[in-house]
Amino acid sequence: MKQTEDGDALSQEGATPQPVLSDPERWVDLHGDYLFKFALARLRDRAKAEDAVQETFLAALKFGKTFQGRSAEQSWLVGILKNKIHDHYRKANRETSFTDLEFYSDEENNRFVAGGWIHKLGPQEWPNHGESSDNEVFWKTYRGCLSKLPKNVATVFNLREVDGLESKEICALLDISENNLWVMLHRARMALRRCLETNWFQKS
Amino acid sequence: MKSLIKVIRALSPNCKESIRLQSDALDRPLRLFQRIGLRVHLALCIWCSRYGKQIKFLRSTAQHCEHDHGPEQKLPSEASERIKRALKDAND
Repeated sequence: MKQTEDGDALSQEGATPQPVLSDPERWVDLHGDYLFKFALARLRDRAKAEDAVQETFLAALKFGKTFQGRSAEQSWLVGILKNKIHDHYRKANRETSFTDLEFYSDEENNRFVAGGWIHKLGPQEWPNHGESSDNEVFWKTYRGCLSKLPKNVATVFNLREVDGLESKEICALLDISENNLWVMLHRARMALRRCLETNWFQKS
Repeated sequence: MKSLIKVIRALSPNCKESIRLQSDALDRPLRLFQRIGLRVHLALCIWCSRYGKQIKFLRSTAQHCEHDHGPEQKLPSEASERIKRALKDAND
């Protein structure tokens, strides 16, 4: 099998048993839902998420040789999908400016006087916030808050907080300055914090 | 006492600056004078201290949501069939 020979050439330890990929025809059934959910959470568009999944499988078929079994098949596919999603961000970025100017101008100014919190509008104590994670309604509220962020701001927030990319990587990917990135992250946290406080912690 | 408060105020950030610095601290190392100023401010300001804890909570919430609490989403069956065909064509 050609794939095995190439795999041996790439592998640093010749004695390692060769990893086996499952039959590509079964990929869609095995991993389709997982990859679709992953793509949809980031692209927020069903058609684009479907396309990204298809491109991922096709690329996997083409580059199947690079699979070395260091990661499970699914993580290997997710790695390819991430690249496809990043390509999409790059493309979207060429078409429109990545920075959302309207959101950018929101400074929660009405909550401050002379740079200090107006006390009754400042952050409140969040009672029992450790227990929120057991509650499905909490997660629904959180997802609702996230969906209210402008798409670009949510993208930046997820790249940083969920995917754990470093500032420099995000700036290179989206072609924005670091200061611009930090302002967007600050605004995203500010808006999410306020939304959760209003819609969850002050209600429960 | 009044003049001491004045000196502290002059050296430490105000609330608006402090919440920006706390956000930045999650993404980059702060400069020494920023860290000291922030620490002084947080020792005196309960609102900004809460803010910092809450945006850290947001970070862990974002990660948990993605891994354990995302909405169930299935690849639509038409898309699934289409992708299978595309894979088959590419493989032949």
